[in-house]
Amino acid sequence: MSEPLLEVSQLTLDYNLGSRKMRALDRVSFSLDKGQVLGVAGESGCGKSTLGLAIIRLLPKVAEIRRGEIVFDGRDLLKLSEAQMDREIRGQKIAMIFQNPQNALNPVFKIETQMIDILRVQDKYQNPGNRKRRQDFRQQAIERLKGTGIADPAVRVSNYPFEFSGGMKQRVMIGMALSSGTSLLLADEATTALDVTIEAQINRLITELAAEYGTSILYITHNLGVLSEMADRIMIMYAGRIFEMGWTKSVLGSPRHPYSTALLESLPGRQTRGKRLLSIPGFVPPLDRLPGGCSFHPRCPFAEEVCRQEVPPLIEVDKGHWSACLFDQKRGRQKWKWI
Amino acid sequence: MLKYIIKRTLWVIPTLVGVLIILFSLTYLMPGDPASIMLGPRATPELVEDLNKRMHLDRAMPVRLGYYLLGVAKGDLGTSVWSGHKVSSLIADALPHTILLAITSLGIAALIGILLGTFAAVRRESPIGGVVTIFSLLGVAVPDFVAALLLMLLFCVQIPLLPALGAGVEGDLVDIAVHLILPATALGIGWVGYLSRLNQESMLDVLDSDYIRTARAFAVPKRAIAYRYALKNAVIPSITVIGLGVGKLLGGAVFVEIIFSRPGLGKLIVDAVYARDFPVVQGGILVATILFVFANLIADISYAFVDPRIQYD
Amino acid sequence: MKTDTINQTKAGMKSTQLTLKRKWSDTLRVTLRSVVKVKGGLWGGIFVGIMLVCAIGAQWISPSDPNAQDIVHRFAGPSLKHFLGTDYLGRDILSRIIYGCRIAVMVAFGAVTLSAIVGVFLGVMGGYNEGKKIDYFIIWLFDIVRSFPQIILALAIVAVLGPSLLNVVFALAFTAFPFYGRLARAKTLSVKEADYVKAAEAMGLKRIKIILRHITPNILAPVIVCLGMDMATMIIWESGLSFLGLGVRPPTASWGIMLRNGYKYILTSPLMILWPSVAIAVAMVAFSLFSEGLRVALDPKERER
Repeated sequence: MSEPLLEVSQLTLDYNLGSRKMRALDRVSFSLDKGQVLGVAGESGCGKSTLGLAIIRLLPKVAEIRRGEIVFDGRDLLKLSEAQMDREIRGQKIAMIFQNPQNALNPVFKIETQMIDILRVQDKYQNPGNRKRRQDFRQQAIERLKGTGIADPAVRVSNYPFEFSGGMKQRVMIGMALSSGTSLLLADEATTALDVTIEAQINRLITELAAEYGTSILYITHNLGVLSEMADRIMIMYAGRIFEMGWTKSVLGSPRHPYSTALLESLPGRQTRGKRLLSIPGFVPPLDRLPGGCSFHPRCPFAEEVCRQEVPPLIEVDKGHWSACLFDQKRGRQKWKWI
Repeated sequence: MLKYIIKRTLWVIPTLVGVLIILFSLTYLMPGDPASIMLGPRATPELVEDLNKRMHLDRAMPVRLGYYLLGVAKGDLGTSVWSGHKVSSLIADALPHTILLAITSLGIAALIGILLGTFAAVRRESPIGGVVTIFSLLGVAVPDFVAALLLMLLFCVQIPLLPALGAGVEGDLVDIAVHLILPATALGIGWVGYLSRLNQESMLDVLDSDYIRTARAFAVPKRAIAYRYALKNAVIPSITVIGLGVGKLLGGAVFVEIIFSRPGLGKLIVDAVYARDFPVVQGGILVATILFVFANLIADISYAFVDPRIQYD
Repeated sequence: MKTDTINQTKAGMKSTQLTLKRKWSDTLRVTLRSVVKVKGGLWGGIFVGIMLVCAIGAQWISPSDPNAQDIVHRFAGPSLKHFLGTDYLGRDILSRIIYGCRIAVMVAFGAVTLSAIVGVFLGVMGGYNEGKKIDYFIIWLFDIVRSFPQIILALAIVAVLGPSLLNVVFALAFTAFPFYGRLARAKTLSVKEADYVKAAEAMGLKRIKIILRHITPNILAPVIVCLGMDMATMIIWESGLSFLGLGVRPPTASWGIMLRNGYKYILTSPLMILWPSVAIAVAMVAFSLFSEGLRVALDPKERER
């Protein structure tokens, strides 16, 4: 469990939009062990998705990595060539599934066509020279679909994506993404667009398959409730920075950052029954107009002068529990409490 | 989908009936007395009456409509008032010229347009984007008959390279091809501009889409993504446009045919209008319209095959 | 009691009508301003403006009488007296281009307006009576007319009615109205589900009033965009029909007639073809840029970009 699979250190990334420059990730450092599930949470626009795309190196052209490393399996992914990424990493060791299953599959090709294409690419890189027939790949595609619990896979495989429901499409994506060779799965809001019951089913499927193959997961979501059930560790992000990181139990049980607390309080759940849910005033600031100091201070009821001046460092406040709140670090957590 | 295709096909019938009615009433209103045109000013009243009887011109309008519909149903489009030839054989002579012109110009235009648009979208920094802009500007600014006149001015008058008039000697393929160059270019420029811009835009949209990102995330090579995945999506809007274009050109190559004196369907109709030869006008328009209707039908149906998503009611 | 409320509401509606009317001039100003902001929209606007000025003020702007013949100086090249030279009858080409602009704008504007009025009327009627017999009849009518290749239908109509300015306008309008009709029908289908229409229906307002006051104003934006684009097409077709001798009659100055004469004298005087071609090209680009600007300006989704 303690062997790190992925180590991101000091990752800093800008979007260059004409004259404007937006810092989408600011000195982001974390590690993910083999077989572990790391949940990344935060409101939209806080850099979660950028992080996922940076790891698999599919950032839009306007993105520019300023500094930092992404060490995966002992190698810095940022130093690999595009060809190496294609040959060894993308779809092989690292797979990614995206938020909107409606658009994630090409609408004008059958499921089998798309799956066979991907399986063929993977096979070409894994066993060069050894050519399989289309029929073999088709069989393989059916096996994958069966593994994700799609009924009647041999028939469904020749359907078009529009004949599948959202949950089914996400199952197809999972079937394409997860195999015995996958060591890291990046799930970017993979279940956000789905119904709650379907969401639970899909999450269970992801966890089960990942456990079977020993795959680590970077699970990106804005829903802390989902993470409490499936994540080993949780990382809270805000405006491109890590605010809090630690074991699920300690982050959710005794959060050390007002922002994490606010996220938790805004969640309907057992403890909050009968109480009014909290809604955080204000909104995530646009990345090209971040306030100085702690970027959360305009929305934070505990902000003091020092929060406006200094950028809070990420400090280990408890064993394996890191937080970036100056107020908490100076005064202790008893001093602040949301209503 | 089958239901949609059947419905779409059946809808052609009432439309064509309407077309026939409009056509008939148009030519009914057309000035000029066919009998005196055919027989000349010195015809005896008996001869005129006889002819009128033969062509049912002495009957009431609904009866004439009935005779007309009956004739069309039997494939009889009447006889030219001027030449006495069967209208159907006149059209059969003219049609190949028009079809050849329409298919050549639109086929080449579609090929060039789609290739240009795709390249311009895939290689955003290359100068191909500029070429697309020039073509689409030309397509907007120079309608086909103006293009035909300018091309004729340039390549037949100023630099006498290519033949100006006619469709070439029958059977001589080289001659026919040489006579095709200018008309096809005049018709095609606008389509190149339109199709390249259309394809460039839809290709750019597609390349930004989620499913292309999915394919990238699974290491499908960039070239395969552009030319296998994205192209099929991006070409969908062009298909309808090309289908409409075929129909339009089959019936609408009028100006180019007149200017280059190509004996096609458009020229046949316009010459008949000049001569008040109404059976030829009627038959020519009917055939042009039927071709147009079926080209649209085929475009709609092929669209349904390419894009399985379409929802039909 | 009941009539009271209705009267009150009617009064209320009248006042909103007034404010709406006052707002229309504002809307026009705002729209034009955003048209100009769109890339190319400014140039389109300027040239469309120049064309309108030429069309309206042809008799004051053009340097000489477009029909004054000067046989001695026929086929003359550009000179100080005739900036663009003269044609086969020694008429001043520049003046004829300017007068031709008047014909082009008149025909195009007339045809576009007429077809839009008829099309919108039928389209709204069909859309408002969705699924009823009249709706099917209107759809059928649209589809029949759309089945003809447009230019062929137009020339057949002119052939029947005889070539003249009014008949060209009518023929072109007849070929184009189904396109407005289909647009209007589709928009009506969505607008008629809106709450304010349902409210007006619930208040027992007469259908004709609902259609005139509540539906029609709300479907006009796309129709106006379509008008702008169609102006260019209609100008082409006016020239085309005149080129075939089936448009306005000579000696009226029309770009199409000028091209027809140029075609006759293509071996003698290339300039006779060149100038009207340039005029048509400028008009096409101007109206396309302007209508593209109009489209972006009237589309709230596009405006945000």
